[in-house]
Amino acid sequence: MILAVLFANVEGNILIERFHGVPAEERLHWRSFLVKLGADNLKGAKNEELLVACHKSVYIVYTVLGDVSIYVVGKDEYDELALSEVIFVITSAVKDVCGKAPTERLFLDKYGRICLCLDEIVWKGYLENTEKDRIKRLIRLKPPTEF
Amino acid sequence: MADSSGTTLMDLITADPTPTQKSSSASSAVASPASASPASGLPTALGKVVGEKKSKRAALMQIQNDTFSAAKNALNPVRANLMPQKQKKKPVSYSQLARRIHELAATSDQRSSQRQLVQHVFPKLAVYNSVDPSLAPSLLMLNQQCEDRTVLRYVYYYLARILSDNGSQGLTTGGGIPTPNWDALADIDAVGGVTRADVVPRIVEQLTAEATNADSECELYEIVFGILEKVGTPPKRKKGILGVGAKGGDKESIIRTNLQFAALSALRRLPIDPGNPAFLHYAILGISSSDPVAVRHGLGIVSELATRDPYAVAMALGALLDVLHLHDVLARVSLARLCCTISRARSLDERSDIRSQFNSVLYQLLLDPSEKVCFEAILCVLGKYDNSERTEERASGWYRLTREILKLPDASSKESSKDKSKNKRPQPLIKLVMRRLESSFRSFSRPVLHAAARVVQEMGKSRAAAFALGMQDIDEGTHINTFAEASDLNDSDESTHPESVRRTSSISNNASAGRDTIAGLLASLMEVVRTTVACECVYVRAMVIKALIWMQSPVDSFDELESIIASELSDPAWPAALLNDVLLTLHARFKASPDMAVTLLEIARIFATKVPGKVDADVLQLLWKTCLVGAVPDGKHKALEAVTIVLDLPPPQPGSMLGFTSVDRVSASDPKSALALQKLVQAAVWFLGENANYAASEYAWESSTPPGTALMMLDADKMVAAASSRNPTLASALTRLQRCAFNGSWEIRIIAAQALTTMAIRSGEPFRLQIYEFLHTLAQGGLQSQFSDIHLSNGEDQGASGTGLGVLLSPMIKVLDEMYKAQDDLIKEIRNHDNAKKEWTDDELKKLYETHERLLDLVSLFCYVPRTKYLPLGPISGKLIDIYPAPAEPDGLDDDLVNAWAANLGDDGLWGNNAPAMNRVNEFLAGAGTDAPEVDEENMISRPSVSYDDMWAKTLLEPSEMEEDDARSLGSSSPDSTGSVETSISSHFGGMGYPSLFSSRPSSQTTDKATSRGSGPSTYGGYGSPIREEPPPYSSPDRQRYESFENPLAGNGSQSFGSPDDERVSSGNPQFGSALYDFTAGGDDELSLTAGEEVEIEYEVDGWFYVKKKRPGRDGKMAGLVPVLYPSMKRFTNHHASVVCHPGFSRLKMVANISVAEEVEGGGGGRRYAPP
Repeated sequence: MILAVLFANVEGNILIERFHGVPAEERLHWRSFLVKLGADNLKGAKNEELLVACHKSVYIVYTVLGDVSIYVVGKDEYDELALSEVIFVITSAVKDVCGKAPTERLFLDKYGRICLCLDEIVWKGYLENTEKDRIKRLIRLKPPTEF
Repeated sequence: MADSSGTTLMDLITADPTPTQKSSSASSAVASPASASPASGLPTALGKVVGEKKSKRAALMQIQNDTFSAAKNALNPVRANLMPQKQKKKPVSYSQLARRIHELAATSDQRSSQRQLVQHVFPKLAVYNSVDPSLAPSLLMLNQQCEDRTVLRYVYYYLARILSDNGSQGLTTGGGIPTPNWDALADIDAVGGVTRADVVPRIVEQLTAEATNADSECELYEIVFGILEKVGTPPKRKKGILGVGAKGGDKESIIRTNLQFAALSALRRLPIDPGNPAFLHYAILGISSSDPVAVRHGLGIVSELATRDPYAVAMALGALLDVLHLHDVLARVSLARLCCTISRARSLDERSDIRSQFNSVLYQLLLDPSEKVCFEAILCVLGKYDNSERTEERASGWYRLTREILKLPDASSKESSKDKSKNKRPQPLIKLVMRRLESSFRSFSRPVLHAAARVVQEMGKSRAAAFALGMQDIDEGTHINTFAEASDLNDSDESTHPESVRRTSSISNNASAGRDTIAGLLASLMEVVRTTVACECVYVRAMVIKALIWMQSPVDSFDELESIIASELSDPAWPAALLNDVLLTLHARFKASPDMAVTLLEIARIFATKVPGKVDADVLQLLWKTCLVGAVPDGKHKALEAVTIVLDLPPPQPGSMLGFTSVDRVSASDPKSALALQKLVQAAVWFLGENANYAASEYAWESSTPPGTALMMLDADKMVAAASSRNPTLASALTRLQRCAFNGSWEIRIIAAQALTTMAIRSGEPFRLQIYEFLHTLAQGGLQSQFSDIHLSNGEDQGASGTGLGVLLSPMIKVLDEMYKAQDDLIKEIRNHDNAKKEWTDDELKKLYETHERLLDLVSLFCYVPRTKYLPLGPISGKLIDIYPAPAEPDGLDDDLVNAWAANLGDDGLWGNNAPAMNRVNEFLAGAGTDAPEVDEENMISRPSVSYDDMWAKTLLEPSEMEEDDARSLGSSSPDSTGSVETSISSHFGGMGYPSLFSSRPSSQTTDKATSRGSGPSTYGGYGSPIREEPPPYSSPDRQRYESFENPLAGNGSQSFGSPDDERVSSGNPQFGSALYDFTAGGDDELSLTAGEEVEIEYEVDGWFYVKKKRPGRDGKMAGLVPVLYPSMKRFTNHHASVVCHPGFSRLKMVANISVAEEVEGGGGGRRYAPP
């Protein structure tokens, strides 16, 4: 289960968050935990360099992409390596939508489409689509494989 | 909330990237929401639409209309609160966007509306993390009428958002928003894959039409299976080239594939119904789909089904050969699990060919280029499938790994690629795995390092399990190639056999200790693992340390591990949660191999000295206790040493950075950790006092060789020598305690004195005498009293003696005095009787017995002793006491049980209990724990995000709740920060922090104690009075809960003697009291109180009393919960709570129930009173 996907900007403001199966009262804790994690560790990290953390039996993989940091939290079959796959798909989708590593402005300009991409990538706590082209087609409501 | 920097989320809502495209209606609505009255805009739109469209639409519009007005009402006040109107450009509020959607939905057939939606409204709305259900009618309407795909995609997106936020059960409508057509939404989302793919638009219609009726998941299944039915069996695809084949395929097969993908991905999200054969059938068809995601879902479903019914799955699955070339990583992970499940299935015992086939696939996955797949395969081989830990599985996992050979089947030769060819030779698994892990440890990717360390940890677990089960034939010095050769040899004999992997049982010893032994391979792996400690990431390092702890075997030297851990812990970057995780790993390690008790205690000691402020003191002390109990008899001495060596270390040098990595140096750089260290040292002293007798197996009542009286005539030096030769463990513990009693801090000295008394009472001679002498000296002050002027300056209350312990020591010495005096008297009496050749009369015996009982009561005040065995009058009194027909006294204690229990405490009985530390350990052992991490309070402020949650205050955490969170995170972040009285009373009262084998005592003694309390009134009752007249565990209101942990004798009926205090609240007969303070109910189940009000206290739960009032209060409520501190007990009007200072905790425990009732009843004159 992918418990959470979270995007934050440089200041630690949360841009997008998606929780799956996390009780509402724990979300606040996760938000602060992840943002703190990023603030502590993402200084000087290279774009798309993957960082890892864990809490009890929950794994966290996070990275920075342009002005945006991305956090993915998972458990069980979504261990650190599976989450790396997930975050890889997410970063490549974001780069695809934005055309490059996004500035915050660019990210917000493309906000709607990024949300749609995320919707196609992580669905109900499971990784769904992984290919860039496929995601691109699906967010325009085209069939996944072209005729 | 909204930043003025220009690039915030708020800005996105405000700014219009393409202002020229604004239609007039949009601009008026967006720019000046207040002026554009929705009431004026809407009727025209509605009028036009309703007139034209079908009746169904009219119904929808009606819903929408209702919703709209309701939503408007609900939203407006919130917006006013949450939108600071400070910017020039007014942001578009949620309610404005919502209104726009309602309006545009009505005109969705117009192109401009669609453009509006796609370019402005929807993307902006996305910024609000979630949307509320009042939008659903409009969205559904758009879904039905709009043709534009982009609009539809957004509609699906928002419908999914609504559902995911509110759960598919619908939601309780806040503000009277009608929840429309809920089931329709749920269904659209459940088959979202279908709708999204837009391959079967009919289904959506069908769904929405059907959904208005009562529907259930059955229908969803039907629909999904219906689609799959239509897909049918896909034509045979070209082998091995997935995806590529699809491109050239005809249109129909592509549509089929798409349908299959959509349906399978919907099916994957539905609960699996193993009874339904359709599941298996379609999932297996899915495996051969040409859509990679469909294959993944198919494999996922199949592998999940296989855990329930491996036989059916194995029978239904055909050959799996080309599945290996799936390019979806997660699909291969599922494949590994599937193979593992099937190859281990008991139900397939007769079909060993099938099992070995799947086994072979699993082993081939070890060669997978993706780490994820390879590691999953390793874990499967090691016997780690899920969170349940089965030692046998693990042990045989280790066996498999070290023994088995991967030999690629011949079938693979025809599709052999370059990387396969070099692996043609049969490879021992262990070699493959080790090589792979070593190369993974050279990776730069932290997730890979972390995962590799985790795999090594699991390997350690399996290895420990194998050792624990005593798998004799695992000889790690064995040359692994011998297995390979042996298997080659066998293979030539029976080469027709399809089994490609087989075990060999031949063991050839005397292999050279080269690289190719298992030990050699392990050593080289561990070398690489150790270097990984240099990783920058603290989480990776934690995992590495865990792996090292698990790979550490009881026989190896652990110097290296020790120094690694010591230097790691000196790094202040470690978060407390992570350290506790490592500490819990020690627990798990101990459980796996109890031989390591001493080693683990040594490691735990490093935690205690290096990071006292960060580790969970309860868990640490529990570790001490379990390890001490679990250590072999010879090891007990060392175990005790390992705990208490802390006491010998030099105190931390403030600010000194030298010798940072030295194990033998305490580091407590900040005041907080210094305080925690202090507490830990106190706990260690306490531990020593409580358990020294156990560790040394020296008890006054078990002394097999009672020392001759001659021993008691010796002078002090010789006595010490005699004592240490008699029992070195106890002697060294004594020495340590004596040192603490002299030169520890004030608190430590107090506890050391208590510990010494405990030992004096429990030990036989000469230890008792030795301690007596020591205490006496200490109380007198000895030479120190001459210098007491010098010591005055340190701010301590010097008390009556030079050491400041006089007040405390006098009752202790008094007890010992009385015991010795009574012993002397007894000896005198015996001599008199012997000389006069008189029999003992009944009266004399009675007197003797009374003395015996009185002394027992007195002694029981200080520590637990088994009453039936303990002879305060010395061993010789035993016979006489036995003669006297003791009045039948209910004594719930079976002393044999005490010893039996002490002997096998390490059993599982200890692991299934209730104390918080136990829970933490058990939870860890079970691999549970997905709850959110605690964050320091400074981070607990809600993040300044403009997500919908924060803005719209719908699910915003209320301030009070946040404070609670603060308190909680503060409380558990370190043991010494829990100063709150409420929490101590409710949960920490059990004093389970004190690992004592004797911390249990029949509570029937409470009454005895109460009667004898009068003997030293002056020393009791003051704040912080060091004498614990009532050890906290027994006055705990929720004693029952901890009973099973604290008192293993509970099963023997001692629970029936609940202390009277417990009965007060737990037995059901209500107590009367009055409210001390006003209390305002904070919830439905709470009850408001006015000071002075009479209440009837029914029972207690977790620090709350359930009380009833005589007459209903202002709120009309008669009964409810109030905090325990608010009402007073009738009989205990004087709430002169004695505060028990419990070592190790900084919590002051208000023991309200031992308040001085005698002052009420006896008027302060008569000190004795009948127990309540």
